[in-house]
Amino acid sequence: MNPERESCLVEVLDRLLNKGAVLNADIIISVAGIPLIGVTLKAMIAGMETMLEYGIMEDWDKSSRELYASQETHLPLLPGEQILYKTFGYLREDEGLIKCWVPGVWNITSQRVILWVKTPGKILFETPLENLRVMRVPASHEVRKELELIYPQGSSRISLTERNEFEQALAEAARSTAARNESELVVTG
Amino acid sequence: MQSEARYLYSVARTGQEARLGSIGIQENDVYIVPYKDIAAIVHACEAKPYHTEDKKLAEDWVLEHSYVIDQATKMFGTVLPFSFDVIIKGDDDAIVDWLCRDYEKLAGELQRMQGTAEYSIQIYCDHACLETLVLTHNQELVDLKSRIEKEPKGKAYLLKRNLDLKLKDLTFLEAGKLADQFFSEIKPIAEELKAAGKSSWTADKYRDKKLLAAFCCRVSDGAVKKLGEVLEEINNIEGFYVRFTGPWAPFSFVCLSGAG
Repeated sequence: MNPERESCLVEVLDRLLNKGAVLNADIIISVAGIPLIGVTLKAMIAGMETMLEYGIMEDWDKSSRELYASQETHLPLLPGEQILYKTFGYLREDEGLIKCWVPGVWNITSQRVILWVKTPGKILFETPLENLRVMRVPASHEVRKELELIYPQGSSRISLTERNEFEQALAEAARSTAARNESELVVTG
Repeated sequence: MQSEARYLYSVARTGQEARLGSIGIQENDVYIVPYKDIAAIVHACEAKPYHTEDKKLAEDWVLEHSYVIDQATKMFGTVLPFSFDVIIKGDDDAIVDWLCRDYEKLAGELQRMQGTAEYSIQIYCDHACLETLVLTHNQELVDLKSRIEKEPKGKAYLLKRNLDLKLKDLTFLEAGKLADQFFSEIKPIAEELKAAGKSSWTADKYRDKKLLAAFCCRVSDGAVKKLGEVLEEINNIEGFYVRFTGPWAPFSFVCLSGAG
């Protein structure tokens, strides 16, 4: 097969903004020692939030810090929904070649299980407690303290430091949900 | 030229002064500042970075920068491409000073890149195809599958979950193995080969496929055909799809650390 010059804007931007040669700050223009290699454009194209999230704009100017402060967010809840339990953990991201564990705060509410990241304030995963099943994954994964969440649309692998507590909290939340609408949740060992 | 700075597109192997025309960012006049047998491709600008609140305009600038690099490559062969918005303080003399100071490094890097170009390779696969491959070749899974059919409903459910988890893990392992295999098939053909990061963009026709491996490689002009043949073979495997693009200037491979 022959290579094609087919490219898309995203790829061109990636090359021009993130790759290619650069030079030391002393001969190129800079402000207060910070080289201005497309910083402003990168910020705009990549999205300010992304830059802030990855700390690229750390110690930048006042307006950025203010924007960062304005990004402080709270998990949006449904009417009548209450947070019952919170713990730090991960979600296994299986898309693509590189599998990774995405960190966040696992919230068990009276209605859902949610993985929430505070900055930039995003729900990475959510599923209703209804029809949710939880299973410990086989022994080879014990090191990571993993759980498999199984729900009608599929399943997800998660990892938690406080796995026992999470399971208990989930079972309790599910019991009260089940009491409300007679749905089932099974925690299997 | 009385402007205070020079916007740098690339460094090429040429000793001749030349003008490329008004092909630069915002139709700036692009020209060549030579030193010995190398030259910087620049336009004169003010000593401040390009900045706009208009995203479309920003993207146009980046595309214009990319166009200049392509034109320079056509004229002078492989160039050292610079990142967007690298602006050198001073006039053409400042450029000559820099070329003189970093001559060894720049000429060496040009020499290394000569007659080669960067190519980008993405290998996608049909996830269902890969799972079927794993499911039919792993005895443990085959046994598990036949047990499920015999067990009562409750136990069969748990065994099925077990099978699904195992299949997921093994498919993941298989994908990694295949990626390694493709990597080692391509490696001998390329001068340099790197695993590329996951792009936020996927071409429409691959949207429902799984990205198995993404590489960028620097390949000599004479070896591109051979690389195409290897990729063709992968592309011909059922359920596998290869996206092969290039040639590009060696953005991912140019290395001037310490220059400037």
